[in-house]
Amino acid sequence: MSLWHIAWSYLWNRRFTTCLTILSVGLGVGLISTVLTLREETRKRFEEEGQAFDMVMGSKLNSPLDLVLSTVYFLSQHKGNIALSNYERLTQEEEVKGAFPISLGDTFKGFKIVGTTLELFHFDWARNPYTLAEGSYFQKPFEAVLGATVAEETGRKVGDSFISTHGMIGGHTHADHPYTIAGILARSGTPNDRAVFTGLESIWVAHEHGGEEPANHEEGEDHADGIGVRDQVTAMLIKLESPALRFQFRKRVNLEYNAMAVIPIEEIRKLYDQLLGMAKAVLLAIGYLVVVISSISILIGLYMAILQRKRDLAVMRALGASKGEIFGAVLIEAFWVTLLGLGAGWIIGTGTCWLLGLYLARYTGFQVSAITMNADLVTAYSAVVLMGLVAGILPAWQAYRSDVARDLAEL
Amino acid sequence: MVILEKVRRKLGPGAAFFCESFHAPPGVQMALWGPSGCGKSTMLNLISGLLRADDGIIRVDGQETQGLKEGDLDGFRGERFGFVFQTFNLLAPFSALNNVILGMRFADVVPAKEWKGRAKEMLERVHLRHRLHSKPATMSVGERQRVAIARALVNHPKIIVADEPTGSLDPKTSEAVMDLLLELCREEAVTLLLVTHDESIAQRVPERFDCTGLVKEALS
Repeated sequence: MSLWHIAWSYLWNRRFTTCLTILSVGLGVGLISTVLTLREETRKRFEEEGQAFDMVMGSKLNSPLDLVLSTVYFLSQHKGNIALSNYERLTQEEEVKGAFPISLGDTFKGFKIVGTTLELFHFDWARNPYTLAEGSYFQKPFEAVLGATVAEETGRKVGDSFISTHGMIGGHTHADHPYTIAGILARSGTPNDRAVFTGLESIWVAHEHGGEEPANHEEGEDHADGIGVRDQVTAMLIKLESPALRFQFRKRVNLEYNAMAVIPIEEIRKLYDQLLGMAKAVLLAIGYLVVVISSISILIGLYMAILQRKRDLAVMRALGASKGEIFGAVLIEAFWVTLLGLGAGWIIGTGTCWLLGLYLARYTGFQVSAITMNADLVTAYSAVVLMGLVAGILPAWQAYRSDVARDLAEL
Repeated sequence: MVILEKVRRKLGPGAAFFCESFHAPPGVQMALWGPSGCGKSTMLNLISGLLRADDGIIRVDGQETQGLKEGDLDGFRGERFGFVFQTFNLLAPFSALNNVILGMRFADVVPAKEWKGRAKEMLERVHLRHRLHSKPATMSVGERQRVAIARALVNHPKIIVADEPTGSLDPKTSEAVMDLLLELCREEAVTLLLVTHDESIAQRVPERFDCTGLVKEALS
């Protein structure tokens, strides 16, 4: 019969209060675990996608972050357009390996329709997020390729047709220009899952006939002055010959082109370090506060338990247990509670991450892993174990210095 | 076997224990008898090392215990002594079997692989084979004291110290427990030092030591 067994037996003997203490530790650990896992996983996914393109060129009306979020992640609304002539000029630049014009503005059931060229699909991507699951890429105007989530949520199949909406849900429809679904992309765990791809020609035609300008009709938008529908696009996604050229080339574009160039990964890191860094700090502080409170409850629970079983400890001493063994047995109780609290917290955290991951996949396309381990988590878990053990020291010390003869004599 | 010579122990303001001389030969069954507060239990605690004397000599099984370091004294106590208490002092979370195993857990006498078998054997000898897995709370007071006796003897101790072992029992159960305790100590050739304030219990034990006056007020 080991000290671990003895400690466990005492915990089991007061299992209700033990469970409550474990739960309180678990809630704190769960919160910490959720914050750290989601932060790290979303950062990884955003950075992976941010690395897909070295640069984005768009209208100066956008903030750099808005331009990245709207064109790379299809998350927010963009403002203004740039001249398509930039495209021809960009492709002549020796630093540019690939340039992909995109035109945004219309939607299908809330999912953004991205007008682009076939070069986007045929480019030599390191990890191709444009692999077809079925059908083919668009070949002529008003053929579309659906992202996996779009196909799944709308129930559309290859050969089906749909009508696009001008702007977001609530705008008028382009009923005279129905799209036919040519293909469906394989799920990639990227924003592409939530997008509908079509040729630039489709966007232009749809808007020429209505007298509108493509991708230039959202609230507060400006457009490239004095140029026709066919001469403008929302943005240009750029792949350079080397990521090392990013800063130098951005500087040149911002000086020589009538457009703004931003580096997606830089904007995403700023977002994480500034805005989300603060949110992370606040949530982590709350999580650690819960763990500290839980540690105090471990301390109080154990202290009260030690007072109640002074006689038991004295009996063990009479049976030959050393002071060190008594100290160890009590400390092990604190360790058990902390360990089980950690386990409960991991389960709570993983469950929460899984649920929030479903939400994130639905609204951003990113698939985050609920089960993960990183340096921050290891540090946090270690800190929790340490706090639990520190909480056990006072009751263990109380047990260590007990007066055996007096405790045995007390009735 | 157990020798106390001029043992002194301060107990509190103006009160102290003093024993001029005490000898208990090996295998003896002796009642330490006297009224409440006379120093019987203090004497048992001093003999078993649960209390340290301020002065004097305490020798148990040839070992002078005053000179032992605390850790060595813990080990010595675990190996040489078995305890039976008035309130049984079984540990509530553990079954009868595990309570008896605990008697071996902290003493390096019986090898760990033999704990279970030895504990079962002792519980059989106190007629509790059918209660191996019962928790103390579900047992009668007589059964609990029998488990305590099994725990005290499981380690092959040299000395059993029993502090008012029948103090919480009704007369009939008390008689049965005394019979069992005396019989087992005789069979195992174990020295029994039994504290009681009850003269009728003391009369049942072959030898008696009158503890009256061991605790004195205002002893310097």
